[in-house]
Amino acid sequence: MSAFDVLFQQVINGLALGMMYALLALGFTMVYGIIELINFSHFSVFMTGTFVGLVVLSLLGVTPGSASLTGVPLVGILVVLFAVTMATTGLLGVLIERICLRPVRHVSGTAPMITTIGIAFILINLVLLTWGPQAQRFPQLLPNWRWTIGGAEVTFKQVVLFAVALILMIGLSHLVRRTTLGKAMRATAQDADAARMMGIDVDRVVVLTFFLGSALAGAGSLFFGLYYGFTGYYIGYTTGLRAFTSAVLGGIGSIPGAVLGGVFIGLTQSLGGQLIGVKWTDVIIFSILIFVMVCRPNGLLGAQTPRRA
Amino acid sequence: MTVRALADRWRGLTVARRRQILAPVLLGVGILFPLVTSNAGNVDAAANAFTYVLLALGLNIVVGFAGLLDLGYAAFFAIGAYGYGIAASGQLRPEWSNLWAPLEWAGQVSRLAMPGQPATVQFHFSFWPMLAVSAIICAIFGMLFGAPTLRLRGDYLAIVTLGFGEIVPVVARNWEGLTNGAQGLGGIRTPKLFGFDFGFSPYPYYFLGLALAAVGVWISIRLQESRVGRAWMAIREDELAAGAMGVNHVHYKLLAFAMGAAVGGLGGTFYVAKLTTATPDMFTFPVSVMVLVMVVLGGLGSIRGVVLAALFVAFLQSVILQDLTQYVHVLGRVVGSPFLQRVELITSLELIFGLILVLMMIFRREGLWPAVRRVSALTREQQAAAPARGAAVKLSWAHPPVAGGSAHPLLQLERLSKQFGGLSAASDINLTVHAGELVSIIGPNGSGKTTLFNLITGLIRPDAGNIRFDGQDIAGRPSHEIVAHGVARTFQNIRLFNNLSVLENLLVGEHVRLEASVLGAIFRPPRVRAEERRAASSALEVLEIFGNRLLPRLDHPVYGLSYANRRRTEIARAIMTRPKLLLLDEPAAGMNPVETLELMDLIKALRDLGITVILIEHKLDVVMDVSDRVVVLDHGVKIAEGAPAQVRSDERVIEAYLGRRRRTA
Repeated sequence: MSAFDVLFQQVINGLALGMMYALLALGFTMVYGIIELINFSHFSVFMTGTFVGLVVLSLLGVTPGSASLTGVPLVGILVVLFAVTMATTGLLGVLIERICLRPVRHVSGTAPMITTIGIAFILINLVLLTWGPQAQRFPQLLPNWRWTIGGAEVTFKQVVLFAVALILMIGLSHLVRRTTLGKAMRATAQDADAARMMGIDVDRVVVLTFFLGSALAGAGSLFFGLYYGFTGYYIGYTTGLRAFTSAVLGGIGSIPGAVLGGVFIGLTQSLGGQLIGVKWTDVIIFSILIFVMVCRPNGLLGAQTPRRA
Repeated sequence: MTVRALADRWRGLTVARRRQILAPVLLGVGILFPLVTSNAGNVDAAANAFTYVLLALGLNIVVGFAGLLDLGYAAFFAIGAYGYGIAASGQLRPEWSNLWAPLEWAGQVSRLAMPGQPATVQFHFSFWPMLAVSAIICAIFGMLFGAPTLRLRGDYLAIVTLGFGEIVPVVARNWEGLTNGAQGLGGIRTPKLFGFDFGFSPYPYYFLGLALAAVGVWISIRLQESRVGRAWMAIREDELAAGAMGVNHVHYKLLAFAMGAAVGGLGGTFYVAKLTTATPDMFTFPVSVMVLVMVVLGGLGSIRGVVLAALFVAFLQSVILQDLTQYVHVLGRVVGSPFLQRVELITSLELIFGLILVLMMIFRREGLWPAVRRVSALTREQQAAAPARGAAVKLSWAHPPVAGGSAHPLLQLERLSKQFGGLSAASDINLTVHAGELVSIIGPNGSGKTTLFNLITGLIRPDAGNIRFDGQDIAGRPSHEIVAHGVARTFQNIRLFNNLSVLENLLVGEHVRLEASVLGAIFRPPRVRAEERRAASSALEVLEIFGNRLLPRLDHPVYGLSYANRRRTEIARAIMTRPKLLLLDEPAAGMNPVETLELMDLIKALRDLGITVILIEHKLDVVMDVSDRVVVLDHGVKIAEGAPAQVRSDERVIEAYLGRRRRTA
């Protein structure tokens, strides 16, 4: 392969990764947009999602040893897998909001964020206690088809993930822009008190936001499992921080920004790994995070100013 | 004596006296502990616990005192650890040059010559100077990592520090030439003292750790009760008001990062000398969270709280969970559960940390052992008492004007303009205020009165125009500098340091008139002691101005004061800066007529003491009564200026307030 082909290949890989980061970043951005909270527990909801996926698959009779599927069984299993996992992580998000975050929502300062760090630690260690520290194999149900475009290769996996991500994002965009709930969400993001006075049930909007964000994290977690073929209790932190960087980069609070940021970080990871070295990936990504926070806190799309007046 | 009598006597002692008793008792217990316990394992665990104490104290300076949430604190632990580790191991072997000769002479390095190869340098820097060097290196990194965060608020700052906290271990893992990568540094030399090698016995480390922890506590207490500590707490409570009281937030935030990092560096150096190895995964995010758990558990800003919490976490880790595991195993054998027989509770340590964070945030945010504030309730008489009007007001530092002396212009505004978007909040304002004058600024809501104060005190920059104060151009200077020149203010919507006491609020006001630096605060030389005494007596003098309104409430946190008393505290705090010019923004708002009159007497008295006053006020009757001159603003334009009677009958003023008279044909 020529150098150009290698780069092209990394662009394709990066786009697929970027979709995963984008799905995760959406959850951060939606919650931040509504209650200005940096939600560390999102990392571990994502991680927990991969284990939920494992359980769902084993209930469906799919184990890491199973052969990949095709045709109707594949579509059926994928639909059930995504639906059940997303619903479960969504409910987990709701649970976190109701039990741990609602009591501190009106506390000013960093207390709510510290709470989310605590929740993240609890979830990570519950998973660790249940499944143990070793990495778990994630069933590879997608057939290993691949096509060559130029000198690069596109796998069926990448195509499926890309398509699912697009469907979810279009759905979310429709929900936020065209429905009453979406309008309530946007109003709450602008001014929660004013929204409440206009008869919007802000608590319900917050809960639904957590549900949607966590459900998207659930989808993202299945991407991780299907793409990498393994999972472990520790995967949430690094992936989550990269996704968070995506959200900040795109402009925290901005939904298109989160997608753009996710793709950018995905490309940075694959191209940076190719050009500079995989071991420096995190340094590059965290440097981007710090740089954006300090120099352009509104991000690329700058939907919302992250400082309170 | 009964226990109760002893407890009562203890409560009657002053804080200083209690410390004089507690310090030797606690140190004595600390020194006797290894002699009492027969188990070397306990001593080793306790020595490690002192590392935790140092880390918790360091983070407490950053998060507890200055209110800057640092989520990457383990980075400084790492830098301190690697600093000593590299200097006391064979990791770096630079080529020999004669520049190393002085260090060789000092016994810190030696020349290693192999036949047929260039000579290299073997590092074996001594532990004691390296303690200081590591602390300084950490302080520099603290400022480096802190500098980008200066403009960020709470959680964004936290994320940036977390980013640095992630980068440091990655660099430690990948920069193999410096750190030996993932395998870590090995063969780090143990400390020596007068020829005695600390070696691998836990006992010498225990005593060293005890000494370092004691030093950490001492530094923390000294800093907290100093000009530096008060500046940090002021920034934590209200950054903008702190600036208006002369606290340079850039300087003090960096200082907090540096001091916190330095204490963490001490911890890292000690830990690595004891362990004789350093690997990158000793300093990851969970370590930062563990230190945060200690600070949150003990209580942000509470020194004894974080020390106790650090000891508790160490005890939990090395004793409680181990012992509990044994019990659970026995229970498992009894009930025949293989899971219970295998379980290792120590693996759930982070689970416990998570639970602690969540539960503390929901149920007890002030921590388990918060810094207590004992306040005696006031009697009914004390609460109801009002001071007699017309009491003499004295300020020892004020210079009452000499009768017949000519007044010089103190403040000159020339063509001052400020636009907010399309709104002109100040346009071409010219105003001269002479020393010793009492000038009132009136005008309808939104006429630009507070904007004018904000321009003068440097909270916003003018778009055009000059501000000359006492012969110096102050336009666009930062507010903390302008205070030092002698301009103080109060805010329309009171901005006090809510969790500090009345006295502490006033002492922050004195900030610009004191000089103690960090070293002065820690070592408290006679000069600093005298300065602190002066500050305290000066605060009492200012409080006396308000008669018995504030004096009985000296130690009360200001969030518990009445509205009028908070206004008074804010004025008192402004007077503490020893202003030549005092800007009062609606000081009588929320006061009843009697209190208003009392306040106006006070303002006149301040003017008679030589303090020039500019007053924004809506109660026009009192304005007309006290002012030497009245300035009227409307839509950012000065529409009238002159003696009260003259302004009162001005057509344009009446128009601005009451609207235009209908034109009759």
